[in-house]
Amino acid sequence: MIEFKGVIKSYAPNKTTVVHALNGIDLSIKEGEVVVLRGASGSGKSSILSLIAALSKPTSGEVIVDTKKISKLSDNFASLYRRDNIGFIFQKYNLIPNLSVRDNILLPLVPLNLNAKEAQAKLQSVMEMFEIGHKADTIVKNLSGGEQQRVAIARANVNNPKIILADEPTANLDEKLSLGFIEILKELKSLKKTIVIATHDPLFFGLDFVDREIEIHNGSIVR
Amino acid sequence: MEYAINALLRQKYKSIFISVVFVVLTFLLTSVFFIVNSMKYELNSTLDALPQIILQATKGGKHYDIETKEVANILEIEGVSDAVARVWGYYYFQNAGVNFSLVGIDSYETQSKESLSKIAQSYELQTQEGQPSMLIGEGVQKIMKKNYYKNYFNFIKNDGSFKRVEIAGVFESETELESNDMIVMSKETLRDIFEMPESQATDIIIKIANPSEISTVASKLKLMYPNCLVITKEDLKVSYENIFNYKSGVFLALFVIALFTFFIIIYDKVSGLSSEEKREVGILKALGWRIDDVLKEKFYESFILSFVSYILGVILAFAFVYTLQAPLLRDIFIGYSELKPSFELPFVFDIQTLFLVFFLSVPIYIAATIIPSWRVATLESDEVIR
Repeated sequence: MIEFKGVIKSYAPNKTTVVHALNGIDLSIKEGEVVVLRGASGSGKSSILSLIAALSKPTSGEVIVDTKKISKLSDNFASLYRRDNIGFIFQKYNLIPNLSVRDNILLPLVPLNLNAKEAQAKLQSVMEMFEIGHKADTIVKNLSGGEQQRVAIARANVNNPKIILADEPTANLDEKLSLGFIEILKELKSLKKTIVIATHDPLFFGLDFVDREIEIHNGSIVR
Repeated sequence: MEYAINALLRQKYKSIFISVVFVVLTFLLTSVFFIVNSMKYELNSTLDALPQIILQATKGGKHYDIETKEVANILEIEGVSDAVARVWGYYYFQNAGVNFSLVGIDSYETQSKESLSKIAQSYELQTQEGQPSMLIGEGVQKIMKKNYYKNYFNFIKNDGSFKRVEIAGVFESETELESNDMIVMSKETLRDIFEMPESQATDIIIKIANPSEISTVASKLKLMYPNCLVITKEDLKVSYENIFNYKSGVFLALFVIALFTFFIIIYDKVSGLSSEEKREVGILKALGWRIDDVLKEKFYESFILSFVSYILGVILAFAFVYTLQAPLLRDIFIGYSELKPSFELPFVFDIQTLFLVFFLSVPIYIAATIIPSWRVATLESDEVIR
């Protein structure tokens, strides 16, 4: 389902420096598989997620999802691809702080111009699933870390995407909340979602529902 | 649209600040345009009513009274269809500190203006008891009433004696600027107040049958009366317009300052979005919004803010100019208001003015909002939200 062929990704934060985030990655992830990308900060895990989500393009090589070369998509088609296929849970959640829980979750649906009834049904379903309905009208910046993460998960699922990407999802959570998140992932796996988690949190290592763990070091797969 | 309204509401203080600046600028521009329109209307009406040629006697560069017998000589000139000796002047009313324009008419004469012809036909400038009477403009009436002259007015003559003239009525004229400070009475009464003998007049106005011959007749008059000033309608137009253009120049300076301020705000916006705004655009893109979805939202957001502010500014300008009569601002244009009774700005609706202010403000603001958003939206989302 997801395939990386010789992917190199370099960034140039300024004119004199070039950072090689990925050094020729070859990778294949099957539909419904749960994969944990392990590695230290700056190893290239987040770059892999960005490339799967078409949030950035590889410097060279190809990223293919469902036979579609997403690394070649134009900006507009990349947005449409994300809208239909990707649910992204960011490390810092990337919620809009002054919007309510309800409005944040509805954000991916705005460009779809759904009628109010349809949008409400989708909203209700994810809010119930991730137990955040009682906070629907609360402004996001007033929520705790764990609650914000639930909103981020609900928003990532409101479009019912096939692929869930989670970037350091437990970096800002205590152990109890982190275990709660792992339970949510189990639920999502049971819904046949393909899940890719980038983390260096040991709680994710050796989990029974995780199909594969891939170790990344300095932009290369080591194991 | 709903998201755009929410976006404006959640940045409440920023939206209010921009809206206030926008309303003030739209209000200022629209007010000034409204005042200019009203003034232009007044000016055009005044210019249309001007006599074709005025002949004034001068001595040592000063204006003197002219002999009325010259009327007969002027009528001999080919092309002249009529010539009328006018009696008029200014009367300084010390109590109010204003000047009144006094105009004398005789009902059997041709009048210099259509408004005066109507007055000459409709009113008797003498009471039934044979007392002199006069018609006054609305501005004059207000000032006289304030000074307890309701039915008559006592003019002080040169020798210090009083001349009592009854108020026969108040006239309305198409143009406020011209008639508001005007008092019309019989030539006889006015001559008495000014102590002007019957053989003399203030000036002579000349009517030419064919307007293209005005300059030829004016040249002949200059030759006939080398001691006189020959003023054509064209000369007067230029002098009126010069005064008006000077006022417009003062306005232009204000206008440029207002626009300059507006463009500084615009420049500030175009030069980049705040990191929070950039992040928001990046998040929206990451959630599957296309560039045009982002731009559409930014368009709604800026359109709602600028259009509502524009409408508010225009409504305030309407109220300020036509209800409150533009206090402070109109003095820039009517510099002599201290010396003349105030006049009302006539309501002139000009759709072009509204379009002009709209195009000077709303599209510029929308563009200034959309361009930086477009710049951010075309970047890789990953780069923006990291």
